[in-house]
Amino acid sequence: MTWQKVCAADDIANNTLQRFEVDGVAIVVANYGDGFQAIAPYCPHMEEPLHESGILETSGVLTCSKHLWQWDIRTGEMVGMAEKSLLCYEIKVEAGDVLINLEKELVYEYDEEDELDDDDFFN
Amino acid sequence: MPARNHTQWKEVPGQLKPGQWVDSRIYSDPDIFEEELEKIFKKVWVPVCHESELPEPYSFRTSSIAREPIIVVRGTDNQVRAFLNVCPHRGMMIERQPAGSFLEGRPSGNPKHMTCMFHGWQFDMKGNCAFITRGEDGYQERLKKEHVGLRRLRCEVKFGGFIWVTLNDQVEQTVEEWAAGCFDCIKDAIDTEPLEVFHYHKAIIGTNYKLWHDTNSEFYHDYMHYHNRVTGFNDEYFARKNVPFDNGHVNVNSFEVKYDEYDGFESRSELSFPKFPPNQWYMVDLFPGMNFNLRGSAFRSDVVTPLAPDKVMIEFRGLGLKSDTPEERMIRIEHHNTIWGPFGRNLHEDLIAVTGQGSTMKTGSEPRRILHGRVEDEYIHDENGVRHFYDHWGKWMNRLPSDPMKEYMVAAE
Repeated sequence: MTWQKVCAADDIANNTLQRFEVDGVAIVVANYGDGFQAIAPYCPHMEEPLHESGILETSGVLTCSKHLWQWDIRTGEMVGMAEKSLLCYEIKVEAGDVLINLEKELVYEYDEEDELDDDDFFN
Repeated sequence: MPARNHTQWKEVPGQLKPGQWVDSRIYSDPDIFEEELEKIFKKVWVPVCHESELPEPYSFRTSSIAREPIIVVRGTDNQVRAFLNVCPHRGMMIERQPAGSFLEGRPSGNPKHMTCMFHGWQFDMKGNCAFITRGEDGYQERLKKEHVGLRRLRCEVKFGGFIWVTLNDQVEQTVEEWAAGCFDCIKDAIDTEPLEVFHYHKAIIGTNYKLWHDTNSEFYHDYMHYHNRVTGFNDEYFARKNVPFDNGHVNVNSFEVKYDEYDGFESRSELSFPKFPPNQWYMVDLFPGMNFNLRGSAFRSDVVTPLAPDKVMIEFRGLGLKSDTPEERMIRIEHHNTIWGPFGRNLHEDLIAVTGQGSTMKTGSEPRRILHGRVEDEYIHDENGVRHFYDHWGKWMNRLPSDPMKEYMVAAE
């Protein structure tokens, strides 16, 4: 366990997302009113930065405003059109500080660009 | 000699022969203009920009060839690729900015993708379709991402790092073959080290694109350039030749420019290009209208985009070495701008000339002869470079430049 302080709990307003860097690792922390969630910073669909394009409703549903994938922020599970779950860090609040368990950076696997056969392409 | 009445004015002057003039309709006729886009500009290699304008992966630059919008991008593998900048869905122009990067997201797009803002279709840096919004809901199995990649275009990085694109998948020659040796005179200077663009401006000029290229292809108009005229006309100057190459290209041979004889100028011998003697000056005039001009310390390129018979966009670039120190770069910029900047010594004079020609050759103006009849053993004031260009123009167009309503082959017999 490598618990690391991210910020003070007061730093993040209710129903907002904020981006932080901890030990050089980018994460996004959501304050959903009843608690906090720490996620990998990009949408698992098309690498959209979720602290910019994520909309967090009071219901706890996070929506990426680009292609409207949605998740339950409490669990990271898919809602609606989403096709991949969110990757979440273990998180806790102690003495007014938000801490996450940063054992390793969580990253999504995105589709690789196809290889092109350059020699034959135009023939 | 007396002035001439209308009939006399229309007669061939002196003993000039066809080929030593062109008919002004080649500069003003809308049908000929449309045909040039189809028969020439959609077939040849065009240098759309320089690779230093795409500094890192995801950098892009947009342009157009013969009204077709083009985008060039640097891929994650550092390769430069060119695509038609048109969405395969509803024909929207995908990228509307002249230059930028796809690395960061956009209001209607994600990082690392080209996004058509109209319906959100997305493409990667290799032109693959990466995402169709609600694709399966609307197209089921009938249309998938692999059916709607971008149209990729042939693209080469060549001759000092210029990015050459052609709309012609069936182009028969590589860029090297197309140039036919006309870059040999400056090849070492521009290909030993990477170059970098330090100056860019574009201008939309009220003239035909060929009139700009004509001016770049003859030095007789040094009579217009006051400074060239009073300080440059010497034996070395007149010893230069215009050298024709295959495919309609022309070189102008070098001579040593004596900048310290120019009023207000100092010698430029301290700064040059690799393997290039100081103060030398070569010009490469490339069919159908690109010019590469190396004056010892600074390298200039002109790329024309014809917009109408009487309208051309010219993109001017100034280049130095990527390895320039800040001091060297400042010297190159000053040397470039004092000759070729918008307020430089020569450029505005050339523009006065071609806009003056443009004013007399508007669509519908009476056809008249434009003389290219100076013959001086190909020495510098010979107009053989211009004649060489029109000989090739005639073949591409199958029109006789001196009588463009006649076929080139028939008339040549």
